[in-house]
Amino acid sequence: MNLKDDPFLNISNSIKNPYIEDWHTSNKKIIGYYCTYIPEELLHAAEILPYRIRATGNKDTELADTYMVRFTCSFVRATLDLALKGVFNFVDGFLICNSCDHSRRMFELFDLKVFTKEKVDKKVNRFYLSIPHIITEEGFNWYLKEVEELRKELESAYNCKITDEKLNHSIKIYNQNRELLKDLHKLQIQENPKITGTEALQISMANASVPKEIANEELKRILNELETKEEMDVSSKKRVILVGSVVDNIDFIQLIENSGAFVASDFICFGTRNFHDSVDMDHDANPISALTKRLYYRISCPRMMDDHENRLNFLKKEIKNANIDGVILQRINNCDLHGCDNMLFTHELKDLDIPVLNIDRESYQADTTRLQTRIEAFIEMIK
Amino acid sequence: MENRIIPYKMLLKALTSTQELVERILPENGIPSLRIGLKYLKSVIETTIKKAGEGLPIVGYHFALPAEYLSCFDCVPICIEGTSYFLATLLLGGVEKYYDIIGNWGHPFHTCTSQKGTMGMTLEDLFRFDAIITPSAPCDSTCGSYGYFKYAKKFPTVIADTPFLNEEKSQLYYAEEIKRSLINLGKLIDQEPDFEKLRFHVELENQVLKKKTEIFELIKSTPSPIENMFNPVSAAATIFTSGTQENLTFYDEMLQIIKKRFREKSHHGGEEHIRTIWPYMLTFFDISFCEWLDRELGLSILMDIFNYNFFEPINTKSNLDEMFLGMAKKALGFPMVKQSADFYYPFIYDCIQMAQDYNVDCFIYTQSLACKQFGSLPNILREALKDELGIPMLIIEFDVGDARMTSLKKFKEKINMFVQTLL
Repeated sequence: MNLKDDPFLNISNSIKNPYIEDWHTSNKKIIGYYCTYIPEELLHAAEILPYRIRATGNKDTELADTYMVRFTCSFVRATLDLALKGVFNFVDGFLICNSCDHSRRMFELFDLKVFTKEKVDKKVNRFYLSIPHIITEEGFNWYLKEVEELRKELESAYNCKITDEKLNHSIKIYNQNRELLKDLHKLQIQENPKITGTEALQISMANASVPKEIANEELKRILNELETKEEMDVSSKKRVILVGSVVDNIDFIQLIENSGAFVASDFICFGTRNFHDSVDMDHDANPISALTKRLYYRISCPRMMDDHENRLNFLKKEIKNANIDGVILQRINNCDLHGCDNMLFTHELKDLDIPVLNIDRESYQADTTRLQTRIEAFIEMIK
Repeated sequence: MENRIIPYKMLLKALTSTQELVERILPENGIPSLRIGLKYLKSVIETTIKKAGEGLPIVGYHFALPAEYLSCFDCVPICIEGTSYFLATLLLGGVEKYYDIIGNWGHPFHTCTSQKGTMGMTLEDLFRFDAIITPSAPCDSTCGSYGYFKYAKKFPTVIADTPFLNEEKSQLYYAEEIKRSLINLGKLIDQEPDFEKLRFHVELENQVLKKKTEIFELIKSTPSPIENMFNPVSAAATIFTSGTQENLTFYDEMLQIIKKRFREKSHHGGEEHIRTIWPYMLTFFDISFCEWLDRELGLSILMDIFNYNFFEPINTKSNLDEMFLGMAKKALGFPMVKQSADFYYPFIYDCIQMAQDYNVDCFIYTQSLACKQFGSLPNILREALKDELGIPMLIIEFDVGDARMTSLKKFKEKINMFVQTLL
């Protein structure tokens, strides 16, 4: 079995896919979003397809540069560029949250420059979710109210009823999805893996672009097929974990895997950060509350100011689980959140004698030779 | 004990020598905002150093937390961002050395210099904080950089979570967050917050507000009755001296001067040719620039982001909850927080309104390299000003506190050329 040509993985290479068209044909709605802190299950329960906005393959930010200065994140700029070209016109709404300074401003830019009456001949609803920056009981209560309000807004905007029953059903589907991704992850981190880091990223990206019922079927199929696949011998390669900013195209991870490394795990939001924790339905009868608990208390992104220790502990555990030889910390240029977190990781990991490389890059593949030289030198340096 | 805050001692020396120069060189009426501002800033910094000498706990605070909120403690309040920029302003060599120190330690180059300077200083152990208090606003640089203080330097850090969107529920939430944070800070420095004492200092700032409101009403007149230097000095006063008698006296003395100039219709630079609003910041690495604008171009800066700081007077006569609610409203409307804790729409609306109220000819938008929260504002603001009022806006990219990132010569050339198109 060769995953390289698998149609599900190939969904990750493009922005649109046939499932989106099928979804629209069924007269159902799609909401675009950026961040894993949004309650996807709530949208699913409203029969809305949550589509994670990405800029895969887009190296052009010319149109977006008009509205975003060059010191902003090239990932977000590239998505805005696509949006200004009408590529995301298939969405019926967008849901933005205050994840970072770059993506949260997409609310205004989408509102004022993308989904205007002149440019789009349908109503595109706008939703906003305000998420706390620290983890406290008060913060949880705030977030819970926000999610409850979002529920009402969705019901009102799309004339639907999100019952607890529907929500419980959606949570089960999403929990199953996360379990399937975890099963795949086990095949990635084992000594003789069955999937590469590149393939794992492709699966994760495709997973965020299609209805979850379909994703689950596809993940099961892939897992079944992988059962008979021969394990790979990666003993000649150094096992690395990729940490930091969003990676939404395979060029970068391929570059690492072509430089003598095997990406055995990750700590990025198209990866483990998205599926590591499930909604605990056994200890909370209220599905909204259970859903919000997962979002709030799960392994965090550096936007959470007071949770660096937990992120470090997660990283240390994953280094052990995946038998990691070295850590590649990366950030998209101008990402203060990952830049600062990576700075702390660099010192903390060095103190533990764990080899670490800290690099900056653009969202799209640029500066390839410089990156390759640094990665190769790092791989050679690992004993 | 004073050596726990060495950069404040550097600041005091720099203030003293600048004040001496001002007294010796400038004519008696020259740049009164600088003369008066230096006097009161120096007084507050002296008091701060004296308190450190007495062994009181050193508390670092983010500029976006109004300084008077710390007056419920007997502590030594140190403004983290203000230290970087005030020293960048007053030290001949700036504080680039400290940006490099923290940069060499691995701090990303694209973060805000307002934190970088103090981070570099703490890496050199020039500050020894007993605790730090910060809001989670206004930006990613704050969220990221304060991790260094908390996790790398192990300074006990209290964070007040600033909600996004300034609406009633946010104000109530933030009121509780401020109160909780002050109580937690008290535990860290082994003090009970004295909220009655806080009332007094909050009330002082209510009085400052009255003065400032009057000042900014008078600035609407033509020619502007205030020199451009007032803007950075007023920013420094807000950040370092809020809640003190010195702050009130500074604005009171400034108000008298402004009233006099208003009556005489006199302009600091001689003749006013261009009236501008700077919706972002001025250069802190070289404030002599303000004088150049006044005297060479006859260009008045009527408002900048730090002076765009008006709030409802805080109710100090009622119960504590009411006072904290007022404090939360003020903090959510504080410069930079106001813009970051809300969509751009009210800011753009206010800019259009101010453009009309202050009868301005143009806007000059200085986009600081590190300021991502404003990174998608300039062009939509420019379009709004053009569409609504036909007013042009010049955008200049620079770093507020790092002279190496910007050629002041080019900076001046850009403004000069822009102004020529308007005259």
